[in-house]
Amino acid sequence: MHEWSLACALVKTAEEEAARRGASRVFEVSVSVGFLTGVVPELLERAYDMARQGTSLEGAPLRIEVAPVRARCGGCGRETVFEGYALACPACGRPGMEVLSGDDILLRGLDLEMGGSA
Amino acid sequence: MCETCGCGLPEEAKHAHEDHGHDHPHREEARLYRSLLEANEAQARENREHLLEHRVLAVNLMSGPGSGKTSLIETLAGFTAGRWRLGVIEGDLATDRDAARVRALGLPVHQVTTGSTCHLDAAMVHGALHALPLEDLDLLVVENVGNLVCPGLYDLGCHLNGVLLSVTEGDDKVAKYPVAFRHAQFFCITKTDLLPHVDFDVERPKREARLLKGDLKVFACSSRVPGSLDGFAAYLEGERKALLG
Repeated sequence: MHEWSLACALVKTAEEEAARRGASRVFEVSVSVGFLTGVVPELLERAYDMARQGTSLEGAPLRIEVAPVRARCGGCGRETVFEGYALACPACGRPGMEVLSGDDILLRGLDLEMGGSA
Repeated sequence: MCETCGCGLPEEAKHAHEDHGHDHPHREEARLYRSLLEANEAQARENREHLLEHRVLAVNLMSGPGSGKTSLIETLAGFTAGRWRLGVIEGDLATDRDAARVRALGLPVHQVTTGSTCHLDAAMVHGALHALPLEDLDLLVVENVGNLVCPGLYDLGCHLNGVLLSVTEGDDKVAKYPVAFRHAQFFCITKTDLLPHVDFDVERPKREARLLKGDLKVFACSSRVPGSLDGFAAYLEGERKALLG
């Protein structure tokens, strides 16, 4: 379950970014999970709920968006969006396309409360 | 309403954005797009450079439990004896059984026991590198935790990543566990001596793996058949020459 390691990295990175901006509270954390990472959104959410206990993110639920795979064919140059793993070019059939996005997991953004007690 | 943040405070409220002089709370959306894998990837790059400085080719072996990673290392040790100096990092959830097998061959080995973590990461490998005599090694094999899913996401800083699949696991597994294959340079179909006893079409995983990674090198081998690792060992030798001259 690599979701646990990712949830720990997520909590650490989100807390770091919130503190750097001088936020007084985090309302929501949003992530983008690339389809090719094999990360299961439900498991990431559960792992995040455990990892955020006792941190400043206790009141900040997680919003997860699954990013499809965008890849470019090295042969004909066509760009295609995939919902699965088969990365052969649908136009010319050539396998092993260059992946442009959908293979990373990103902290997209934070919904923050600024000022007030700060 | 404040033109900067749209917070709707009356005009007389203190409200200087330029010097961060807020005295009222307001909501703000911070757009970040920061990778959660970036710390691991930075450590992996460091590991790769560190190994290169010591002229060591490092190979990460990934597979489900029981595909024959440790047997492959044992056979490779016999093959490379007197030619390359081989060292091993063993990753396991629990026990040092694999490390004990490798140590029995007289090879330098460092055990990483991950506890509840289902994969090795670059920081664990970094720690292990400091426990091994890199100046006395030509080839370092990192045996990842037996798991065909999670290790695929974590770059360890090895120069080559490989996946093993034994014929007893079934010929449909490549498409079912694609993550690790995408980051691999080679793929070993193992335990081929058992082919007469199982329904396993060797061409199917080869075909499916090359769909995921067009330039994947594929080997079919058995640690029990003398000479069947020749092609794989020659590949490693070629890669070492290409990397280190």
